[in-house]
Amino acid sequence: MSEALAGPLRFATRTRTYVWAAGALLLLALPFYLDRFWLQAGLFAMAAAIGAIGINLLTGSTGQLSMGHAFFLAVGAYGYCVFAADGGDAGDGLTGLGLPTWLAAVLAVLVAGLAGGVFSPIAGRLRGAYLGIATLALIFIGQHVLFNARDLTGGFNGRDVPPLSLFGLTFDDRELLVANVPFGSAEKLWYAGLVLLLGCGLFARGVLRGRPGRAMNAIRDHRIAAGVIGVPVARYRAAVFVLSSMYAGLAGVLLALVFQRTVPDYFGITLSLEYLAMIVIGGLGSVSGAVIGAVFVSVLPQLLTRYSDALPLVSAPGTGGIAPGEASRYLYGAAVVAVVLFLPGGLVRVAAGRRFRTDPGEKR
Amino acid sequence: MSTFAELFLNGLSMGSVYALIALGFVVIFRATEVVNFAHASLLLAGGYVTASLHDDIGFWPALLVGIAGAAVVGAAVEFLVMRRYRGSDHSVLAIVTIGVDILLTTELTRRIGTDVLTLGDPWGDSVLTVGPISLAHTRIAAFVAAALLITVFLLAFRYTSWGVAMRAAAESPETAALMGVRLGRVSLGAWAVAGALAAVAALFLTVFPTPGLERATSLAALKAFPAAILGGLDSTTGALVGGLLVGVTESLATGYQSELTFLGRGLGDLAPYLVMTVILLIRPAGLFGTKELARV
Amino acid sequence: MSTTNETNETNETNETSTRNATSGTVRVAAGALAALLLLAGCSSKAKDDDGNDKGGTAAGEVKTGEGISGKTITLGALTDMTGVYATLGKSVTQAQQLYVKQLNADGGVCGYKVALSVRDHGYDPQKAVSGYTELAPKVLGFVQFIGSPFVAAVEKRIDGQDKALVLPQAWSSALLGSSYIRVIGSTYDIETINAVDFLMKEKGLKKGDKLGHVYFEGDYGESALLGSKHIAKEAGLTVVEQKIKPTDNDMTAQVAALKKAGVKAVVISAGPRQAASLVGVAAAGGFDVPIIGNNSAFAPQLLATQAGPALLKNYYVASPSLPIGADTPGAQKLVADYKKAYPKDSLDNGVVAGWTAASAFGEALKKACETKDLTREGVDKALLTIDALDTGFGTPQNFTDPKAASSKQSVILRPDKTVTGGMKVVQEADASDTATQYTPGA
Repeated sequence: MSEALAGPLRFATRTRTYVWAAGALLLLALPFYLDRFWLQAGLFAMAAAIGAIGINLLTGSTGQLSMGHAFFLAVGAYGYCVFAADGGDAGDGLTGLGLPTWLAAVLAVLVAGLAGGVFSPIAGRLRGAYLGIATLALIFIGQHVLFNARDLTGGFNGRDVPPLSLFGLTFDDRELLVANVPFGSAEKLWYAGLVLLLGCGLFARGVLRGRPGRAMNAIRDHRIAAGVIGVPVARYRAAVFVLSSMYAGLAGVLLALVFQRTVPDYFGITLSLEYLAMIVIGGLGSVSGAVIGAVFVSVLPQLLTRYSDALPLVSAPGTGGIAPGEASRYLYGAAVVAVVLFLPGGLVRVAAGRRFRTDPGEKR
Repeated sequence: MSTFAELFLNGLSMGSVYALIALGFVVIFRATEVVNFAHASLLLAGGYVTASLHDDIGFWPALLVGIAGAAVVGAAVEFLVMRRYRGSDHSVLAIVTIGVDILLTTELTRRIGTDVLTLGDPWGDSVLTVGPISLAHTRIAAFVAAALLITVFLLAFRYTSWGVAMRAAAESPETAALMGVRLGRVSLGAWAVAGALAAVAALFLTVFPTPGLERATSLAALKAFPAAILGGLDSTTGALVGGLLVGVTESLATGYQSELTFLGRGLGDLAPYLVMTVILLIRPAGLFGTKELARV
Repeated sequence: MSTTNETNETNETNETSTRNATSGTVRVAAGALAALLLLAGCSSKAKDDDGNDKGGTAAGEVKTGEGISGKTITLGALTDMTGVYATLGKSVTQAQQLYVKQLNADGGVCGYKVALSVRDHGYDPQKAVSGYTELAPKVLGFVQFIGSPFVAAVEKRIDGQDKALVLPQAWSSALLGSSYIRVIGSTYDIETINAVDFLMKEKGLKKGDKLGHVYFEGDYGESALLGSKHIAKEAGLTVVEQKIKPTDNDMTAQVAALKKAGVKAVVISAGPRQAASLVGVAAAGGFDVPIIGNNSAFAPQLLATQAGPALLKNYYVASPSLPIGADTPGAQKLVADYKKAYPKDSLDNGVVAGWTAASAFGEALKKACETKDLTREGVDKALLTIDALDTGFGTPQNFTDPKAASSKQSVILRPDKTVTGGMKVVQEADASDTATQYTPGA
């Protein structure tokens, strides 16, 4: 049996490497061909994927329901603006520290983590539904601050996001010709997004596959038993909360860079719900699941809107019938329900050829 | 002083409506340990049925059909979705209810469109004025109806066999099942009751001072979440107290906005959540919630 | 044990199929990659030195650029039909579709047909920005863009690279100042100044009085607040602020607070529902002060609700133009045509706003056609020459100064059941002295 399998297995590994390499090359080549709309959609998906990985660590792997993820995204996005913008004389009169932008990005992520840490006395004491609804408070607090702390956030109209510059390269709309293809902000950010997503994915995978990951799963499956066998439950839960907030913060920074302006309306409860939908659709507790779910949830509405003229059932705005926005909400609402009922484990299991299919009934 | 009294009474009345929603929430949680985020859409469904029927069959029959309709929708969600889930993770089920909510709300808001639907209630915009205080009849009706329903519900919970079965199921599902309680029926009943309560709440959320039912009405359910939590998710008394507390807090925070400017304006939505956060810091299981006992 | 065996078996079969599938994928991917490499450098995005993408410029012909392909001019509309501004978005879009239809029936512009590319963003920033990104390279300009935060979000791109004319359906003073983003009609701050001026002249509000202002959080309410604060300073009033959210539908607490503060009049810069609740509660509680709303704080549907009678009695609306039911030939024609095209939908001020914006763009196109320059630049220039566009709604629009709103006039209306659109005029178009001297953002 093992003899017979050795050949095909090696072959399988090799083909997998090829697929990965081809996929990576394809991703690297895309900015040369796709127009800005698609690149931007991809960037939104990448940012969402980073955030989804973070919340999957928290909700999927450790079993802590968080509905406040949008708040930490906002902290990251606005934190970056505050650190990076030139204060005072820059024209908009908003607070800005004028730090180098790469440092601002790092600090914004740290501040998001810090915000998670500040909330952890509450997070540490609450579980399940209580935690879920308590984190809802963060959304309301966040919205209130975003609309009212004018000097910091610019109020309802938001504030401009200074473009990131790294090693002398500025990720703005000034055209840069690469092989005769003009590179604007979307093309340049595409690569930054890829690097960040890869780093975040690998780090999360490392966490999940190592000791901490097993401890987190133990906490999710049985908190008290985990404590009894020697897992420092409170410390782990606080640490995961902070880590997940930092992922959200980074997603916020990337989103801000793509948007080029932060708007408070974005960071509402819908966004938090979308993130939960992503991890359920993609697959709870896995990194690739989070990425698949993020792509699904963030690209779907844009696709439907763009091709609304050509799709059956979906009607162009102004003609009555189902609008593309509604159609995408139907689809992803249904996807959440259908995935949980019929595909426990999410889309990632389908992508993996159902090799790890377990009888869900056993998991009690 | 009269302003305070007016704000306080209005808050109490709104609070009793929130209590109705929160109660449904707690009932579902007790029976199935699931947090039902689809509550907002049950509310909208009840209101929509009432609003679309009252012209043809009159207000009271329409209200009854609306209540029944929301109960059916609730039961259908339980039967078609919740029951089919084979896993044991309640936070996954909570996320499923989010999916259900998105589906139902999208459908209902699409039907409502840009309209503002009236419910044809008999109270109109009449107002009771006692000295300097004026209170809309709808508000008084809301308070009376909520008090009545909650009393009936608490009695039923205590004395009927359905109530006993439900409490047994909440206490220990396995034991209850062994004693002959049909868990499926219990949770089906819980969802139906929650839907019915939400429909009544929808009525009082859409009559005067509010112009009518429209797409954003369901967002009121967001205020029932802190109400349910700060009272304790598994406590019916808690839902009542929590609802009233949220209503009064919201009303006062809005009415005294000018005195609270240092916190920023537009506090009304935020205040219930702030109160909730403070209470949870002191009592993690809410005011009346039972502390968790667990066996390993 | 049998179960384990079964699982093993399924695993194996699955593995074989996966293997086949993956090797297939590899082949496909490799092929795709080879194709990519071959094409590298001749990507459609790559810049040619010939500069062909600027369109035909042959002598005597009309100069064209982005947004025109073949014999079609494409205009973009970023609207909200499924979000908080759904009511406005629907009316505006349908009015604009009607305008385009009529324009084409009359022969179009310079022999070109005009097409409208509509994208519904549902008031979601991500969809709004991606809608803009999608349409920006394909359209000549935008006849509609709802949501001033979203316009602000892409402002840099509009001013910096795209340089296409954008007519936002958001009357926030924060949007003034760009040469390409042109607000049509008075902004909310100016409208509010005119509204308060009306209260002072006609409704007995005087120096030293307190004025209540209930406003939405966000661009609309907060722009309006700038106006009420400005005129309060000029005229010696005190503003009592009440900020609300679009989800608040019950104004009882607000009325109680305003009553306590002893205000003599109230301005409401919120949605129709909030206005209805406010007016209804005030009337029911015997709080008898004049209430005036901004143009967005009324919808004809409200007259059928409980608050209907109170609205008829004690409510005014300041509007940038005559109401849809106005007594002018232009308005009557629009009403008739709109009713014919959309028999089920209500006629409200959104129709006027959409029609006016589409007309402004249409006029600019016609002028640009006269100068034989239908590029973005040509249309921008053409709009700057229009100094008194009258679409039949009473207020001439002057587009010559990009720093100012195209009009400082407001019409004061009040609800009336018998008129189409539910509103009649109480004071003709006029700009108050305070409004005339007011510079937004100062």
